[in-house]
Amino acid sequence: MQDREGMILSKAVYADMSRCIACHACEVACEKAHGAAKIFVDVVRDRVSVPVSCCQCEKATCVMVCYPGALSQDNGSITFDSDRCTGCDLCVLACPFGAVQLDTAGVRRCDLCPDREVPACVVTCPSQALIWDDVENIAREIRKRAAVKMGRSLASGRVL
Amino acid sequence: MANESLVPTICPYCGVGCGFYVALEDGQEPRIEYMPDHPVNEGALCPKGNAALEVLGHPERLRHPLKKTEDGWAEISWEEALDLVSEKLKEALEAHGPHTIGFLGSAKVTNEENYIFQKMARLLGISNVDNCARLCHSPTIYGLERAFGLVGVTNPFPDLANSRCILVIGSNLAENHPIVARWILKAKDRGATVIVVDPRLTPTAWLADQHLQIDPGTDVALLNGMMRVILKEGLADTEFVTRQTVGFEDLVGSLEEYTPEKVAEIAGVSAAGIVKAARSYARSPASSIVYSMGITQHAVGTDNVTACANLALICGQVGRPGAGLYPLRGQNNVQGACDMGMLPDFYPGGRRIDDPGVVEDVEEAWGASHLPTAPGLTAVEMTEAAYDGDLRILYVVGEDPINSGPNTDRAREALERLEFMVVQDIFMTETAQMADLVLPAALWAEKEGTFTSTERRVQRIRRAADPPGDAREDLWIFSQVAERLGLGFHYAGPDDVLTEINRVLPSYGGVTRERLASPGGLIWPCPDPGHPGTPILHTEGFSTPDGRGRIVPVEYKPPAEVTDQEYPLVLTTGRVVLHYNAGSMTRRSPSLAGRVPELFVEINPHDAKKLEIEEGDPVAVTTARGRILARADLTERVGPGVVFLPFHFPDTNRLTTDVLDPVAKIPEFKVAACRIGRG
Repeated sequence: MQDREGMILSKAVYADMSRCIACHACEVACEKAHGAAKIFVDVVRDRVSVPVSCCQCEKATCVMVCYPGALSQDNGSITFDSDRCTGCDLCVLACPFGAVQLDTAGVRRCDLCPDREVPACVVTCPSQALIWDDVENIAREIRKRAAVKMGRSLASGRVL
Repeated sequence: MANESLVPTICPYCGVGCGFYVALEDGQEPRIEYMPDHPVNEGALCPKGNAALEVLGHPERLRHPLKKTEDGWAEISWEEALDLVSEKLKEALEAHGPHTIGFLGSAKVTNEENYIFQKMARLLGISNVDNCARLCHSPTIYGLERAFGLVGVTNPFPDLANSRCILVIGSNLAENHPIVARWILKAKDRGATVIVVDPRLTPTAWLADQHLQIDPGTDVALLNGMMRVILKEGLADTEFVTRQTVGFEDLVGSLEEYTPEKVAEIAGVSAAGIVKAARSYARSPASSIVYSMGITQHAVGTDNVTACANLALICGQVGRPGAGLYPLRGQNNVQGACDMGMLPDFYPGGRRIDDPGVVEDVEEAWGASHLPTAPGLTAVEMTEAAYDGDLRILYVVGEDPINSGPNTDRAREALERLEFMVVQDIFMTETAQMADLVLPAALWAEKEGTFTSTERRVQRIRRAADPPGDAREDLWIFSQVAERLGLGFHYAGPDDVLTEINRVLPSYGGVTRERLASPGGLIWPCPDPGHPGTPILHTEGFSTPDGRGRIVPVEYKPPAEVTDQEYPLVLTTGRVVLHYNAGSMTRRSPSLAGRVPELFVEINPHDAKKLEIEEGDPVAVTTARGRILARADLTERVGPGVVFLPFHFPDTNRLTTDVLDPVAKIPEFKVAACRIGRG
């Protein structure tokens, strides 16, 4: 799909926190597919868990700070050139989600499993908390689920 | 990919029965490929499923038969090992009789292997046969057999999506059967109400519209209280009760004192919460109950199961789409091991050993005579008998009673008193270390056969790799021992055994090898080759002799061990998502053990403050049976006064009590009194 400035947006993996059960299947599946996990599940205050991975930002701060140009963004997708990487860690610090890591293999961030039709973390997710789609479709899905919840609350006479 | 082949198989961990492929490619390590067309998991896998192949080529796999000598373990040949087993069995049979021998089968090995193992035992006159179902769902066996006439989950998992109210009681399925959460969420998407009853704020409780955080061991009071509300408010399904049940009048009389106020006091939840849950369950057009070891692992486990069945029966919430009872079973083939008669009081097909007609049938089917006609000892009773010197020989297959049974220190002492113990397993477990002989077995991906999941779904596993070293399929080992004992087994392989199972077990009559080729297999009862299987039970009445469900009143009894000044905290045990049972596989899987590497104890911050314990502190947990060390995890997952230990690490069961349910003989793993101090 086209974004607001006519740029092609890539699909991304989104998380529905109301469905995540903190099982860590996505982490293990990612580790199996890539050697090390690029998605991380954190439990907040014992009550909700949040899978965090690369948001495939339209304006990616990790790319912006990469002064040698090892990370670059073209038509929405971010690529990495290990020959240019100096190991400065700026990309790690710049990512607002902590979803970028740098180790001996270079920059580790979600590459959306290019060899698969659907990323491994999404296929494996037992509770269908991870969604792989265009952001517009995802927003539509979230609206639908919110409507069901609100409708149920009204139907059972609860105060919203 | 080039030269890649996909071998369809079934996950070796819990009882959900998820399908996946083992992908084999020349020169590559086997890897997992997802199976989107599997009807239960739709391609998804939990972390344990994703890590299932990590044990396959594990360096610690047992590779040779090992005999204990004064100088430690000695590698011996299969010839010598098998001769030793059969000689020891023969000696004991002749000198002391079959009651001095025990066979512990395994909920991890195939139907075919369990069938042969119990057949071997019974042909030798041995009735002390059991499997670890004793420690997880034996109350389900006795409770549901009495209530419905048949033991098993009543409806398949995908049918949960048709429920409009789901009552989850004593099950942390989000961690222990994560794929079930998928179907509960699908029900919620369609507007279902979810009630979770659990002393802990688990990830399962996150899914709930209503969480009733009861005190451990108060389930009967809660369920009776809900039933009283239902009767008082006229919400029972009187038409169903009249047409399909017996015992209703007795129940009505028994519930009077379970007022919401009184139950609120016993269970530590609000009276309004009890009323609300009762109304939700009874009023919904299709309600299901999902339960697990929070219900069964109590000295009143059978009463707990019975109370669940009573609730379903008085509301007519069984025998229809979306309305059923789901006892979630813990192991890949625990349903199958029980179906195959790996129980001291049942022959294959859930038929009672003390029914002369049954014995006659089995004798005819096996061409045998003088088969046992009385129940033998259960698993925990075998340990007791070993302690007393009445059990001399124990043959353990794929189980680790030292870690999985209660009161470890006493169990260890008991097994030390055995004359001879042989353990057949894939790793050198704590129990195997105590054995006189250890036989290396093939694991699930190294053999052929069938598993029966908790849904009663029979599915095929296929060989995708060779066993390491001299390790052999359990079926081969049993056949070799049987041959040396002159039992005349002539099975060419698992297919031959399945053919006999088709003939001997009426409900497996149509579960043939050919029909199990496609993903999803067949759900029993499936009596003949043309039968489509029976996903939903009791649609035309129950499996009891008169076709009616049994309502049996049960009274609330407090847990066997209550807190006092010396032991002021309630200790409850359970599982975490990244580990499995006694941990012999998951503690050896780097991607799982790396995430939860050591034993921890959950303590409410309120209690921790009083005890001056901080996050991560090493603390000592002490019960009347022992003292262990664990790392403190300060969390509101447990309420004040309650602490939680996962049982995947060797120390936890040193603390648990071996007080048994009088009917099912399951130990009360879920409640003990303890104290906590700085380590």
